[in-house]
Amino acid sequence: MNETMFIDPQRCIGCRSCVAACRECSTHKGYSMIFVDYIDRSETTATMPTICMHCEEPTCAMVCPADAIKQNEDGVVMSALKPRCLDCRNCVNACPFGVPKYNSAMHLQMKCDMCYDRTSEGLKPMCASVCPTGALSFGTFEQIVPLRRTKPVNAHVFGNQSVKTKVYMMLPTDADEVSIDGCGVFEGQIALDGPPKSEESWIDTQVEESDKSNEF
Amino acid sequence: MAIDKTQLANSIDYRNPTLIGLGASAALTALVIIGSRNLEHFDSALFGYLIASIVAFGAIFFRYAVWLQRPATRAYFSRGLKLFFQRKKFARNTLDATKTVGINMLAQKFIFKRARSRWLMHFLIMWGCILSAAITFPLVWGWIHFKLEGDTAYRAYLFGFPVQSMDVHSVMAFFTFKALNFTAIMVLAGCAIAIHRRLKDRGAIAVQQFLLDFVPHLLLIAICVSGLMLTASSTYFGGYMYSFIALTHQAIVIMTLFFLPFGKLFHIVQRPASIGVELYQQRAKEMEQAKCRRCGVEFASVMWLGDLKSVVEKVGFDYTMENGETLQDYCPRCKRVMRGLAYSVLMDRPDKVFHGTRADGE
Repeated sequence: MNETMFIDPQRCIGCRSCVAACRECSTHKGYSMIFVDYIDRSETTATMPTICMHCEEPTCAMVCPADAIKQNEDGVVMSALKPRCLDCRNCVNACPFGVPKYNSAMHLQMKCDMCYDRTSEGLKPMCASVCPTGALSFGTFEQIVPLRRTKPVNAHVFGNQSVKTKVYMMLPTDADEVSIDGCGVFEGQIALDGPPKSEESWIDTQVEESDKSNEF
Repeated sequence: MAIDKTQLANSIDYRNPTLIGLGASAALTALVIIGSRNLEHFDSALFGYLIASIVAFGAIFFRYAVWLQRPATRAYFSRGLKLFFQRKKFARNTLDATKTVGINMLAQKFIFKRARSRWLMHFLIMWGCILSAAITFPLVWGWIHFKLEGDTAYRAYLFGFPVQSMDVHSVMAFFTFKALNFTAIMVLAGCAIAIHRRLKDRGAIAVQQFLLDFVPHLLLIAICVSGLMLTASSTYFGGYMYSFIALTHQAIVIMTLFFLPFGKLFHIVQRPASIGVELYQQRAKEMEQAKCRRCGVEFASVMWLGDLKSVVEKVGFDYTMENGETLQDYCPRCKRVMRGLAYSVLMDRPDKVFHGTRADGE
């Protein structure tokens, strides 16, 4: 499979069409595996769409005690094998991108598998099919790059750890990686014993609370 | 830090698992000798089954011991045992674990939650196989045998001790001697549901593999069909081709036993580990909870997070951040938001970095 996903968060308008469409994927029918998070609701309406980035060396698979998470020959990291998953949730908390979801009643982890039922047949993933702005695009480099003013980058830095992924982020042409250290992202952290966060709107609370646990 | 998979693969110790596997085979051999009273009650026609079951038994222990070497598996295993044998909570742990066995292992409620048809499929296959194994293995190992008593009665002997006598024309004898036919029908029905799903379900078709997902079902079907053919041959066809069918049946069963430590069938011995995992999580909920360093939400227990961070390090990752925390100290949502914030900082650049396109070289 030469195609992959290209994520351009600056194009995301937070419509959550992708979230709805994701539920139609046959490998996790009825459950959405995509996240659209407000990055700082009090300051901006900007949203961050997150799908599985399909790491070249997937942390989720390495920390799985049951060896249930497999990477296929196309580099797609699949959902946990149903007979094996023990619902330990190691993957949920180990994933640097906060992607895997779990369901305790089903004893099951599931995650975005790049709509493998569709992409293995040459179709676009559900999210990329419905995204109205091209924030989520699926295709080859040759198809996507000429259309954009940004460049695709698949290097992510989390402190001391570099992670390369099958999925690309669209970045300014002088950026070579997304690093979450040293760019002020920790400045917003709240004191653990401090006052509770101010109430947000009802819809924001619904979205944020439901996404916080990663339970589907 | 790059992960050296070769190094991880080389770090697997095969010596101890081999010894454990050999020990398990030796232990089963000893139990067979003791249980069959020095092979007095052993049926030599079942010799092939005996050797295969002893080898497969050792192979399963070998595979299990290798599996326990995975850092995450070892962490759960050792922590689970420690939690279980806590003196103050031992009784409660035993009760909770028993409940989990009943609800998840025997009734398989979690599969019911996934889908009713899958539950029915798995229930039929699992109980068909368990009942068949419970009948055949004691016979193969010489733990149970039957002796003719009078003209029309058989007496069962367990480990050489007389147990139950039954008339061959009684209802009990009918169900006892035909039990494997009923279990074969259960397994066949379960496999039919499974294969129907694998041929029709688009999601299953996309991810299934022949060796992993079809072969186990095909083996089970072959065992059941050849087993039922034995009944048909002896009951309706005067033993026509009985020996050939018996040999075929034996060959397929032996192949399946050797397949047990690999692929899908390994979940039979692996899955009960979820009892330990569930106990781990039940006890973890009662302990101090870790708060996300960014939003303050309690998202995991301190113990669990500590174990996880140690596993993450052991498998070759270093997610230590500039502020001294590790990435795993943040809840999944904050990880996503932090990445979004990092991205937004990147985009806050002079316009020139967006001018033109890459295609025209800007």
